[in-house]
Formats: sequence, structure tokens, C-alpha cells
Amino acid sequence: MITGDSRQQVIPPTRSRVKAGFVVYSPDSGERNIIILDEGELAAIDRNNGIKTTVFKMHPGDLVGVAALLEHENFRYAIEATEDSTITVVTEECMESELKTLPVWMLAVIRSLSSKTRKLKDALHHTRCENTLKSLAEYCNHLEAKKKYPLKDLVHEFHWLTRIPSSVVNEEIKALARRKFLVQEGTGEDTTVYVVNTLLLQIFVDYQNATEHGVNWEPFTLSLAQKRLLVKISSVDQSTSMDAPAWIAFFKEAKLQIDVTEWIRMQQFGWFKPGRGNTFSPNTDKIKYYLAALRYETNIRGVL
Amino acid sequence: MHIATGEYVCLEGDKANTLFIVKSGMLVGSTKADAGAPLQNFGPGSIVGEFSLLESEPRDLTLRAAEDTEILVIEQHTLQSTLDKHPGWLKSILTFLTARNRIAQENKRKNDLIQALPSLLYIFSAHLKETGADSIPLSLLHKKILALNNTPDEETDNLLKSLESLGLLKVCGSNDADKNVKVESLQIIPLLYETLQYRALNQKVSPNILSMTEQMVLTTFVKIARESNVPLQNGLCTITTEQLKAEAKKSMHGLTLTSRTIAPLVEKKLLEPSSAFDIHAPLESVNFFFADFEKILDLLELNRIFPLLDKSLV
Repeated sequence: MITGDSRQQVIPPTRSRVKAGFVVYSPDSGERNIIILDEGELAAIDRNNGIKTTVFKMHPGDLVGVAALLEHENFRYAIEATEDSTITVVTEECMESELKTLPVWMLAVIRSLSSKTRKLKDALHHTRCENTLKSLAEYCNHLEAKKKYPLKDLVHEFHWLTRIPSSVVNEEIKALARRKFLVQEGTGEDTTVYVVNTLLLQIFVDYQNATEHGVNWEPFTLSLAQKRLLVKISSVDQSTSMDAPAWIAFFKEAKLQIDVTEWIRMQQFGWFKPGRGNTFSPNTDKIKYYLAALRYETNIRGVL
Repeated sequence: MHIATGEYVCLEGDKANTLFIVKSGMLVGSTKADAGAPLQNFGPGSIVGEFSLLESEPRDLTLRAAEDTEILVIEQHTLQSTLDKHPGWLKSILTFLTARNRIAQENKRKNDLIQALPSLLYIFSAHLKETGADSIPLSLLHKKILALNNTPDEETDNLLKSLESLGLLKVCGSNDADKNVKVESLQIIPLLYETLQYRALNQKVSPNILSMTEQMVLTTFVKIARESNVPLQNGLCTITTEQLKAEAKKSMHGLTLTSRTIAPLVEKKLLEPSSAFDIHAPLESVNFFFADFEKILDLLELNRIFPLLDKSLV
């Protein structure tokens, strides 16, 4: 019957006096209680492999069993009285009845503290990587190209670095292999993996970063005119050095669309390295990067 | 309390002692450290600021209303009057839960730092090998560690500080954009990575970790090599057995140098004997020993910092 007075429904905790040596709690009992020491002294005892060790001692005001009661986390030690003591035992039923009388916000605080702690503890055993494919690509980017690595060693090392589960790593290796960034050979214990071209993995990581941040990735935003300019620069010897007007004239001579705005854009893309006296020469690494990105666009986007 | 769309409820770092409960609408939370990361959403029923209410902790989030929002504010006197109406053990439980959360936060922080170290060493080692340089731009290191292990820049900086305090590297430059991380020795970072990897993957101590006796013998070897005027040949230095025994008598605290003492170093190919080495024969049967000087220096450095590593990190 609902009386409107919730205090009437509270099951009181049990207060009792125990003698020295009394086992207040045994881990085998399966009980989930909070034990509060009012007077005397209690000790948490570990009986691992038959050896009795005192893990910690409890003094008046100390309590154990909160995690066991609120989070179903087993308390693994026995609690024994080391001297005559007075204890208060809050059982599951008592706790439940008391919680029912609390304001909702207080319950929410207790639940929130408990849940946040549980999440922090769980996080210790899980990877922090959200994009496991990108993480693997970053790792493989630093492997030696064309060198065959035993699959199991690679998975083992990468798992150690990132805590990404081995099963996920194996799937991601297949995903990179489908994109032709890696090649997997052999079967069973003899399976090996090699990186085709480390530059492609670096490009893939950069593309993934841009995608995650919701920005358009520059190599895939080039206009047709810009792509033509890129191809033209790639045919120029890297030692060629000219000032901006000379480069613009060079492109115009090759019947390519170019103006000052386009020239500035090319600077922003990093296709030219500044030299002495306002001259510029082709930045081979950047040009190779853009060309590879365009050539392997479908592999990078994963739309094979 | 009504908060209009776009209005701020509190700023990260503000002094505080209240709890917010979202009754309707939506609050979004952000931190300076996670700038650019997705915002945290707090819809109806969410609570924010437990630690401000319980321990007067400053706000850990900047909160803004994403839409018109109604919030309930719980102040500390409300908490106190509620606790007064309930048994004393309820307060003990709250204290326990708070303390437990603090411990879990600290464990997570330490764990993240320890977990991020191999990734930093992996990226750094790879960069040194790929470029032949003795440094890496800090911004590149940040970017790559974030991609590999989702390690935030702040954590990477903390790791670098720890490694810098051990004398392994130096962060140079004043502007964030121009900062470089320079190694003291090209081999020490790869060596440290290899040692940690060996321990983790094989569940045993790496052969790079030397016993005290091995370290003492190698230190003696290095001392003689440094005092000698004989130049290194292809990085190798040669020490006669006679020199080694004489110096060992002085610097190895009474330890007698025998074939048995030298044997583990010969086995690990750190010291190469001039003739066939027999553990049962007198040490004098070998005229001299030679070794890769830089390699020995790096190994000794590794053995100096390795026991300090965990303490330095956490």
C-alpha cells in the first residue's frame, strides 16, 4: 500500500557487535553488502594459494562493499575482525529501500559517479583508436616497402601499440589489401604482408584525416585546368628555376589556362619551392604526392 | 533556470559548487584540450557538475545551450540538507564513490601515458630511419601519433617532457609551429622501442637489458677507450685484456675479471675476442677485445634510463 510516507518503507541496516577473529564477509558467500565499521578494527584478508595476507586494515568510519553493491563488482577479500568491533551492514534490500527515498537528482549523481568510474575502468582494456583503418595505415606507412613481414608478427606488434583487437586488425589488413595498398601472400602461419608503396598509405591517412574533419581534401578538389598544370610541372626538370612571370609565360606557351590567381593556388598547393631572388622550382615530392593521389583516387576513396 | 539558444551556462575553469540537471532542451559541452573534437551533448535528464557539487571543483567543461533549455540548479546547501535527512553512511558512500572515481581517472591518465609511449617511439624511430635526420618537427610528431594511436597533443607533450628529463631528447624552438624534437643519440630511441617491444611481445626481459656486472665491465671498457689515444677504426675500439683487467681492479669494486664474467658479453656479441673464446680458459688466453663503441654507449645509456622510465612517466 502506498502511504505517501516513503520513510516507512526503509529497511534499516543491521548494527552488530562482533568478536575478534569473526569473519564478517567471505568472498565465497556471494553476498553483496556494504560493511561500515563503527568501532574497533577490521582487516581485509587475501587467502591466495593458501597464504593468508592482510591487504589493508579498516578503522572506524571506513566502509567496504560499495562497488559490490552498486556495480555488482565482486569484493575479493575476506573481512575479519582483528579486535572486538561494532559494524553496520547495509544489505541490498536496505540499500534499495534507502535509495528509493532519495531525491531523483541524488540518485542520478550516485549512478553517474558509478557509471563514469566503470567507463574509466573499461577504457583501460580498450583501444583509443576510433578509426582503426587509418591507424593501421599510419603504422604500415612506416614499414619498409616491398619487404615481406610475417602477418602474425605484424598483427602482434600493431595490437601492442594500439590495443586494437587482433580480429579487427586482420579485417583492416584485408581492407588495405583490397585497396591494393598491401599485398597478403601465403596461408596459415606462413602468411606474409608487404607494403606496395608507402606514399599511398601516407596519402590515405591524410585523406582519412580530411574526411574525419569534414573538409574537402585538396588533391580531389583540383579543377581540370589545375590537373593539366600539375601534369605539365611533373614533366619539368626539378632544377628548373624561374620567377613567377616566367613560369606563367611557360604555362601559357604550352597553351594551358593560367592567371595570377591560379599561380597563387599552385603556391598554396606547395607545387613550387621558393629559391633565391624570387625564383621558384618544382617541388618534386609534393607533385609526386598529388599525382599519386589522383592516379589512385578510387583506391583511396575505397570505391573499387 | 531558462537558458536561451547560444547562451553560455559556464566556462571551463570557472569556480563552481553547483550541479546542473537538464530538464528540457540541449546543452553542449567542450574543453580547450579537445578543441575540434565532437561536442558532448547533454539532453533532458543529463546531469553535469557532480564534482563541483560534491567537492567544489572548477567546471571541467564549457557549457552552452544548443537550443532553448531549462535547467535545474542544485546547490551545496540542498545537498547538505538532503544528507542530513538520511543516514550518515549515505555521505560515506558518496565520498567513497568520488574517491574511487578520482583513482580511476588517475589510473586512466597513467595508463594512457604508458600506452602512448611505444607509439611515440615507433613514429620517432621510423622518422629518424626514413629521413636520416636527428630530429622531427613537433607538429608532424603530433599528427602522426594522433593518427596511429589517437594520442592527444597534450599527452604527447607530457611524454616528451618525461623523455627530455631523462636526457634522451630535447624539444627545441620557441614557437609551436617551429618546434623540433631532437634526439641526443640516433640509436637510443629505436633501441628503447626495440627493448619495450621485446618485453611486451615475448613476456621476458630484452637481451638489451644488461646485468650490473655486464654494465660494470662495459663501463670499464668505455673508460679505457676514452682515455686511450688510439683512434676508432670503423667505429670499433680495441682494448687489450691486460688494460681491461688492470682498470677493472681499480673501478669494479674488487670484482675480479674472469672469462666467466666476460662470457655473457661475448655471447651477446658486444665484445668480440681477438681469438677463440673459451669460458674455461684463463682470460689472458685472449689478447684483446674489440667492440662497437657507439653501440656500447647507447646500450649503457639505455640501461641507465630503463629503470627510471616508469617512474618518470607516471
